[in-house]
Amino acid sequence: ALRMFSNIISLQCEQIIQHLNRKIPGVNTAELCQRIQTLGVEINAGDLAKITNTVSFLFSTAARNNLSTEELITTLGNAVSTLPKHAVQVIRHVWNEQGKSISVTEDAGNMATVGQFVDIKWKLGVAMSSDTCRSLKYPYVTVTLKVADSSGQITDKSFEMTIPQFKNFFRQFKEMAAVLETV
Amino acid sequence: MAAVREGEFAALQSLLKAPSRDAVRQLCQECFSSPLAGLGLLAQRACPGLAAEPEEAEQLVSALHSLTRHVVYRGLTSAEDILLLFPENFHQNLKNLLTKIILENISVWRNEAQASQISLPRLVDMDWRVDIKTSSDSISRMAVPTCLLQLKIKEDVALCGNSPVVSALTVELSKETLDTMLEGLGRIRDQLSAVANK
Repeated sequence: ALRMFSNIISLQCEQIIQHLNRKIPGVNTAELCQRIQTLGVEINAGDLAKITNTVSFLFSTAARNNLSTEELITTLGNAVSTLPKHAVQVIRHVWNEQGKSISVTEDAGNMATVGQFVDIKWKLGVAMSSDTCRSLKYPYVTVTLKVADSSGQITDKSFEMTIPQFKNFFRQFKEMAAVLETV
Repeated sequence: MAAVREGEFAALQSLLKAPSRDAVRQLCQECFSSPLAGLGLLAQRACPGLAAEPEEAEQLVSALHSLTRHVVYRGLTSAEDILLLFPENFHQNLKNLLTKIILENISVWRNEAQASQISLPRLVDMDWRVDIKTSSDSISRMAVPTCLLQLKIKEDVALCGNSPVVSALTVELSKETLDTMLEGLGRIRDQLSAVANK
């Protein structure tokens, strides 16, 4: 179980590095959390998110300042005193192997405190019946937006729209695209 | 929504004491819109005007709630169908008045029922803006267009009752991710057309 836990932390660190290198939009905290929980380790998504934030910030600062592995571990220890020893070892190992690959190139990237849109999942449904109306036949669109925050956490936001709302929604995006073309 | 019981129709007779048709109309609307938990309060207001005893008021309000909700549940739309609900010896004028009031309100009530049924959070508003990023602490000059989108989303009405929680989601889209969005939305539109043509 310890090895599997270490593997997951290792995966988390790798995802953080890939995110810093703009290869992936973010770290799938919810999925990692689920995997850790099935190992019987008590952790909630919020705590795992904090760890992702801390390690992400640490890696990017270390990359920009060319910190050595020892300096990195010292800084980590000062930031998070409660990390278990094997987690620290995993982080050190990943940094040793891949730390140098973190590119500190300048690009437009995500400088905002605003979430970045990643993907849209959708479903078209018809509500047939409910406790208030036996025969509804009410069509609606359900949408899940995947949004990555600046530290790379991907969260889902789901909501429903009526058909007229959806048509307006679509039209607004087409307008946005049209404006982007001219800019 | 179970059918209206005989006893409940009897309770409706209290409406004969109403000061005006408009008073009856208003009470019908309030009884339909009120959740079960709010009926007690409505009953208090109906008494002493329409009912001598608080118990009578409660039965009246409950019966009206039942009747109006039942009509919406069954999807009744014609006067004949609604009239058929009443027992044979029910007061003729009151029956006609109630049927008339129900017919007047049926489509508004149906929309209200649809709007308040359980659902995922609903989109209530959307605002957007296109910006150009011109510089930052790491890049001195650039011209990168970007979209800022703010969605206002209202949590499930059934959970929030009278104090709906509206949250704002602010999202940034680049030209590429905007294309992803458009592609997804385009597919929804295609599906809608396909379903509409069936």
